[in-house]
Parts: sequence; C-alpha cells; structure tokens
Amino acid sequence: MATDPGISLKIRTALGQYLKRDPTTILMTDHLRDDLGLDSMAVIELLYRIEEAFDLQIPDQDLVGLTRVGEVVHYVEKRLGKTSASLPTKNTAKPSKLKNKKKS
Amino acid sequence: MRSRVVVTGLGIVSPIGIGVSDFWKAARSGQSGISAITSFDPFPMDGYRSKVAGQVRNFAIERFLDSPHGDRVDRYAQFALVATKEALADSALQMAKENPHRVGVIVGAGMGGMVMGEREITQLYEQQKPHRVHPNFIPVITLNSASGIVAMAYGAKGPNLTISTACSSSAHALGQAMCCIREGRADVVIVVGADASITPLVFAGFCSLRALSSKFNDHPEKASRPFECSRDGFVMGEGAGTLILESAAHARKRKARIYAEIAGYAATSEAYHMVIPREDGLEVANTMRLALMDAGVTPAQVDYINAHATSTTIGDAVEAKAIRQLFKSRADKIAISATKSLVGHTLGAAGAIGGIASVLTLHTGNIHPTANYDDPDPACALAGVSRSGQERRVKVALLNAFGFGSNNAAVVLKHAIA
Repeated sequence: MATDPGISLKIRTALGQYLKRDPTTILMTDHLRDDLGLDSMAVIELLYRIEEAFDLQIPDQDLVGLTRVGEVVHYVEKRLGKTSASLPTKNTAKPSKLKNKKKS
Repeated sequence: MRSRVVVTGLGIVSPIGIGVSDFWKAARSGQSGISAITSFDPFPMDGYRSKVAGQVRNFAIERFLDSPHGDRVDRYAQFALVATKEALADSALQMAKENPHRVGVIVGAGMGGMVMGEREITQLYEQQKPHRVHPNFIPVITLNSASGIVAMAYGAKGPNLTISTACSSSAHALGQAMCCIREGRADVVIVVGADASITPLVFAGFCSLRALSSKFNDHPEKASRPFECSRDGFVMGEGAGTLILESAAHARKRKARIYAEIAGYAATSEAYHMVIPREDGLEVANTMRLALMDAGVTPAQVDYINAHATSTTIGDAVEAKAIRQLFKSRADKIAISATKSLVGHTLGAAGAIGGIASVLTLHTGNIHPTANYDDPDPACALAGVSRSGQERRVKVALLNAFGFGSNNAAVVLKHAIA
C-alpha cells in the first residue's frame, strides 16, 4: 500500500525530534521498541505528539496495533481518510498492554 | 558502634553560580543573586505585589548533561541532576566500583514539578481537552521525580526517598541520610535539595500569603535582608544542592577527600500553626539542643550557625530569640550567616544549599557575609551576624531549617578532623 509522503515525513520528523536523530534514517519497517529503542512510555509520548500534529484522538484499543513506524503511518492515513471516530481493530476487546505496564 | 558520616562531594545550581567554585566565590564576596522578574510570559508582573526573586539565569539542561534523563523531568529535577553530576565527580565516587544497592538517594523538595504542572492545568481549564494533557504530567509532578531520575542516572539502587516538609525539606534529607548510613542501611547516600517554582501560580500564592518582600522591587539586591530592621518578607529563590554522604569507613577505604562530618540531627514539630512559628522560640531552641545532643557536643562548642533566616519579620526574630535562649551569653560569640540573603529562599533546596555553605565554612575557614545587614534589628540582635566575610577556624557548625506545617530541623556538622 502506498503511503502519503507528507504524513510519513511528519511522523518520522516527530520521531527524529524525540530520538534526536536524522528523520531520514528512520525506516518504515523500524520497530518502535526493538529498532528505535522506545519504551512503552516513549511510545505514548510519540502518539501524543502525533495526535497533536494531525488533530486526532487515538483510542486506547488502537494502541496495540501500532508497533512499527509503517503501522503508525498507515493508521494515521486511515484515520485521516475516514470520518468515523474510531477504526475497528482486531484487538478492540483486549486491554492495552501499554496502559497496564506501569506501576500505580 | 554507629558509623560516623562524612561529606565527600558537593554540587550546586544557584542564583549566584552554577558549580561550587562560582557559588562560593560569589558568596564570599556577598554577591546578591536577587533580580527583577521581568514577566511571567505571556502576562506582565503588574498584579504581583512582589516582583523580585533569586533566579537561575540562562539554565539549559543540554549545556550540562548529554544523557536523556533531563528531558523527561521538570526544571527542579534538572537542577538536581546537574548538582548531582558535579557532586559525584567532586567525590570521585565511581559507581562501577560500588555495590549499587548500598548507594541511596534522598531528595528534599517542597514544591516539585510546578513548571509543567501549572502549564498543563492552565491548558486543561482553558481548552477543556482532557486528552491533550501531556502523558508525562503525572510522572513529572509526582514529588519523587527528582529522587527517581537521580537514581536512574547513576544506577543507585539503595534507599530512594523524597522528603517534603516545605522549607526544611533538604535539611531533613541530610539528617535522614545521616541516620540511614549510621544504621548501616547504606554506605553512600546522595543527598539533594531542589526546587524551581518561581511560576505564576506559586509566586502569586506566596504573594497572597503576604510572605514575600515587596518594599524593594526597585532594588532587588536589597530585598533579602535577614535580621535587619527594614526586612519585610522573604525573596523566593530556586536552585539545587547535592552533598555526597558516606560512612567514614567507606570514605577512608577509597581514600576520598573528606570535607566535613555530619554529626547530629533533630526533627521536631511545633504542632502549633501551618505558617506561623511559636513566638517564644522554645521549640526552635529545643530542636537545636536535640541536634547538639545527638552529635555529642555542647552549646559551648558551636562556632558557626547557618541560620534559617528567611528575612521575614517574625521568623528571624523567633530564630534569634531561640539562639539566645540556648546559647545564652555565647550567642554573641558564634559567627552567624544567612545564605538566603544572597540567593533568596530556595524552599526545598534551602537546607542543602545552607548545608553546602556550612561544609565550605568548616572546610575553608571562610564565613560568607550576610548581605544587607545594614541596620541590625534589636529584636534579633546577635553580634555574630556579620555584613562582611570573616576568616575563622570553625570546628562545629549548626544548620537550621524550619518549614510550613510547624516543622523544624537542625543538623550539626563538624570539621573533618575535629
């Protein structure tokens, strides 16, 4: 599936700012945790920035599917292309792992 | 036998210097770090009664740290990280050679992460968008964010505590760290005092309490004037101080340079009033007496007091009265200085910054002047308060700190070879 270069660049720029590295070195296939070293809190901060950049609200149940840069880009593209508030996902019934990892 | 506890490293971020060398040079010359607050961007200072503070100017965390630890915490915890980096380097402690579970961190902080706290609260109420509250809001404003990030930065896995007793917070941190090492719970404790809350809401709150000086807005450097006739309230400050405490045996084993000994501590409550001290001074005198007993020294042995001395009308008078009660005629022979005359009242950092001044006094024999001590107030006349610096061998020093909530602390420090 083709990606919107504007959306991709915006997301990789946000990642680059967070990671203090050149956005062009960040690949669509990069895993947020395993390749880019983002812990669960850092992913939440990234999504917060993306929500702001694209004027979106990302529901908790959608977090589970967002593990690679490309998945985040495709997710934002879908959301911007749809008018419904939330996308159906495979994991909507499951609680977010990200949410429950932290201490009280 | 309980362990003796010594100080082996110092670090500081203050309105008169970032770094111990700059701080002490400025302190010895009586340089004031109090300046005008130009604005609380985006609104002006017009509505504030007080318009001056001890501000740390041009602080940018990336100038001091190349690790990402500073990015996720508020200004006060960034100060803590910078002061701790200096103190650890000064102590020559190598964490790689230490048992990390024997290295603790105890931080004193009064207000915590108010910079982000105020910003997020303001935005929420203005925009009414709960989903736009920053995900770091809770970890940043939680009061142990500084003790947490300092431990993470250096891998200190021992006791990790935050003490919040308003203006006495880091004096208690020093005392509790001493107890921790004495009891054998740690070999080393990184003691930090930090606060950075010269923010629109906190500053307005202290103005509304009528606690801040407002007579010297046109002459900021004259606003903090402890024990002096025309004092009219304290001046808010910000900063951080770190002291590396360790057992004397541990310090000797690694051949560390020993600045001073932390020899005694007392913590009391006046159980009296949230913001007003008991005017008879009995509880303050009792706190000092208990700390001296804990150190095994008599009032006659005390050479120097780093007074709490915030420059409030009642607070300074009560402390002076208490010193007179405890030390009697000797009260006039004890050298006394008020570090807040130079840096303002750094709230949770005050005990640590006063502690650093006390340690340097013991170590160097230099006593920094008390700025603006032009016309001594008869209500708190103590002959040892000096407007100029002194050179004097000091063997025993007493550090006082009192906080809102009817809270008192006193710490006794000794010369390293006393």
